[in-house]
Amino acid sequence: MTLARFRRQSIGYALIAPAGLAVVVFLIIPILLSAYWSFTDYNGVKPPTWVGLDNYASLLGSPRFQRSIGNTVAFVLMGMGLGPPLGLATALLLNRAMRFRGLFRVAFFLPVMTSLVVVATIWKMLYNENGLINEILRLFALPGHNWLSDPNTALPAIVVASVWQGFGFETVVFLAALGGIPRDYYDAARVDGAGRWAQFRHVTLPGLRPTILFIYIIGIIGSFQVFDQIFVMTQGGPVNATRTMVFDLYDKFNSLHLGEASAVAYILFVILATLSWIQFRFFGERD
Amino acid sequence: MSRWTHPAVALAAVALVVSACGSAASPAPATQAPVTSPPVGGSTASPAPSMDTTPVTITVWDYYGEATPVKPALDGFQKEYPWITVKYEALDWDSMNEKFAVGVAAGAAPDVATLDMTWIPTLASNGVLEDLSTISGGMLNGAPIAEQYNPGADEAMKFDGTYVTMLFDFDAYALYYRADLFEKKGIAVPTTWDELRAAAKQLAEDTNGDGKPDTYLYQVWPDTFHYAQFLFQNGGGILTADATAAAFNSPEGVSALEFNTSFIDDGSGVYWGPDQGDQMAGFKDGTLAMFQNGPYMMGVLKSGAPEMAGMWKVATAPYSKQPGSYLGGTGLGIPVAAAHKDAAWLFVSYMLRPEQQVGVFTLAGAAPATTATLESPELTMADPYFGGDAPFGIFLEAMKTATHFPYVRSWAEIQTPTMDDAVAAVLLGQSSAKHALDAAAQETNTLLKK
Repeated sequence: MTLARFRRQSIGYALIAPAGLAVVVFLIIPILLSAYWSFTDYNGVKPPTWVGLDNYASLLGSPRFQRSIGNTVAFVLMGMGLGPPLGLATALLLNRAMRFRGLFRVAFFLPVMTSLVVVATIWKMLYNENGLINEILRLFALPGHNWLSDPNTALPAIVVASVWQGFGFETVVFLAALGGIPRDYYDAARVDGAGRWAQFRHVTLPGLRPTILFIYIIGIIGSFQVFDQIFVMTQGGPVNATRTMVFDLYDKFNSLHLGEASAVAYILFVILATLSWIQFRFFGERD
Repeated sequence: MSRWTHPAVALAAVALVVSACGSAASPAPATQAPVTSPPVGGSTASPAPSMDTTPVTITVWDYYGEATPVKPALDGFQKEYPWITVKYEALDWDSMNEKFAVGVAAGAAPDVATLDMTWIPTLASNGVLEDLSTISGGMLNGAPIAEQYNPGADEAMKFDGTYVTMLFDFDAYALYYRADLFEKKGIAVPTTWDELRAAAKQLAEDTNGDGKPDTYLYQVWPDTFHYAQFLFQNGGGILTADATAAAFNSPEGVSALEFNTSFIDDGSGVYWGPDQGDQMAGFKDGTLAMFQNGPYMMGVLKSGAPEMAGMWKVATAPYSKQPGSYLGGTGLGIPVAAAHKDAAWLFVSYMLRPEQQVGVFTLAGAAPATTATLESPELTMADPYFGGDAPFGIFLEAMKTATHFPYVRSWAEIQTPTMDDAVAAVLLGQSSAKHALDAAAQETNTLLKK
C-alpha cells in the first residue's frame, strides 16, 4: 500500500469513525448483548446465569405467548389487508384532477404526522361507551357497544384506529409512484381498446409493483411491532384479546425478566427477517 | 428497487433493537427540580458526633405528583442536615416502575424512591432493595420500627425476615357510597355481601329505557385488588400458607368471584374497562354510586369533584365471613445500588416523622402509615366533604385486617396477567369462576416453580 493510498483511506476511515462508533455502541453491542441474555436468567441486577434454550422453550410453550403471536399475526393481516388497498384507493382518487386536491392530501397525511399515542387516546375516547361512535349508533336506534371491553371487537377496533392513523403514508407513496408511470402507456392501452379496469390491471398495477413491495415490507415490519396503541387503549386486555409480542416483551421487562424479554425480541427478529427475506426472494428480484 | 434493499434490512435490525429496548429506553425523569442548599455553618440541629458529615447529594424519585408531601419537606430536611443536598425528581406512577427497573439495571438508580407496595415482591426477590434492618439497626427516629407500625404493616415491609421498605402511606379498601341517594331511596348502609347486592339493585336505574340499568351503578373493577378483597372476606387466601401453591381456587375463592360477577349479571354493576374512560366522569355524571377503594380516593374525590361535597360517604366494606382487604400503599425504598445509603436512610427517617407523615393526608389526601401519625387531630377531624364524618378511622380499621400480596418472586406475573385474566374472563362471561380460577391456579403453580 502506498503512503498516499494509506493516507487517503485513513482520512476516509477517520470521517466515518463517529458514525461507525455509534453503530457499534448503539446497534451491534446491544444486539449481541441481548442475544446472550436471551439464553440466560437475568434480572439486570444479579449477574446473568446460563439457562440454554429455557427462555425460548417456556415462551413458545406458553399459551399466553402463543396467543400473543396469534394476535400479532391477526393484527398484521387485518392491517395489511386494509391499509395499503385503502391507501391505493385514495391515491387513485387524488391522482385525478380535482378541486382542493392539496387540501385532501394534507388531510390524509396529517394523522401520519400525529403521535400514535395521541391518535390512540383520541380513538379510545371515540370508542368510549358514551363516545362519538356509540352516540352515532344510538342516533340510528342501534345499540351501543363496549368496543374495547369485548374480546371479540377489541383487536379489530385497534386495527381500525391504526389503519386510520397510517394509511395516509401509503396514499402519499402511491401518489408519487402513480406520477412516475408514463402517460404514453395509458395512451397506448386506450388505443388498444383497454377500458378503465384493464388499464388499472395492466398498466397501473405493474407500474406500482416496486412500490407495493416497499409498502408491504415497511408495513409488515411496523405492524409486527405494534405496541403504543395497545398500551394506551387496552393494556393487552380484555383477557389477552389484544396482547401482542412487543407488549409481552414490555411485560417481561417490567417484571425484571430481561432474559425472557430478550428472547421475545429475538423471536420477533427471526420472524421479521424471514418475512423480509421471503418478500425479496419472491417479489424483489425481477426488477 | 434495490435502492430499498438496504434500508429495509437496516430497518429489520432497528426493529430488533427497538423491540429490545421498548419504550423504556430513557430513564430520564419527567421533570427535574434539584433543590440545592449549600452547607451552612451553625445549622439548627447539630449532628451526632459519630455522623459522617461529608457533603453528599442524594437523588429522590417521587411518584406522588402535584399534591406530593415529599417535595414540601425538602427545605426542613436540608436545614437539619445541611451537608446533604437533595436532588428531587418527580415521576409519574405509570412510568415509575419501568424507570426504576431501567435505572437499577443501568446502575443509575436513585438513593430513595417511592415504591408501590405491589412492586415490592418483584423488587425484593430480585435483590434490588437494600436491607433496611441492617442500615437502621431496627430503629426508626429513636424507637424500634416494629413499635411504630401496625403488625400487618410491619410484616408487609419485610421480605425474608428483613425490612426492605418503610411504609409511607397505606392502602386498604372501604366502601364509598352516594349518601344522598341512600337517604333519598331509604337504603341502609350495607354491612354484609347480601345487603351490598340489595343496595346495588335498589340504587341502579335505567334512564334510557333500554331495559339495562345505566345510572347509579356499583363499580366492578376487573382486577386482582378487588377480587382479593372478596377472597379474603370469604376466608380464602391467594397462596397456601407456605407460599408454594395457589389457593385462590378454593370454594371460598370461587364463590368470592361469583359474588363479584353477580353485580354484572343483574346489571347493578358496571364492568369498569377501557370503554368507561375516566372514573371521575363516572362519579360526576351519576354512572357510579358505589365503589370500593383505598383512602387515596378521598383526595381524588375532593380535588376532582369539589362540587359533590356532602354527597359521598365512606363505610366499612361489607363482608361475608370476616373483614378483609388487600394491604398496599407506598413504601420508601433504598436500592442496593444507591451511592449514599446512610444519607438516604436519614431522608427516609425524616419523611416518617409525624410532622411529615401528616402531609400525606393534608396534602395528598392519602393515608399515612406510622401509628404515631394516626392519632393526629388532622386525621381524626370531621370532614365536611364526607358529610361531617371522619372517614380516616374506617380505613385505619380496614388496615388492621388487611393482608398484603404474597412476597414471591413471580408475584408480578401471578397478579397481572394470570389472576387479572381469570377475573376479567369470568366478569365478561367467557368462563365459569371455577374453570377460570383452576386454570389460573395451574399457571400460578408453574410460575411459583420458576
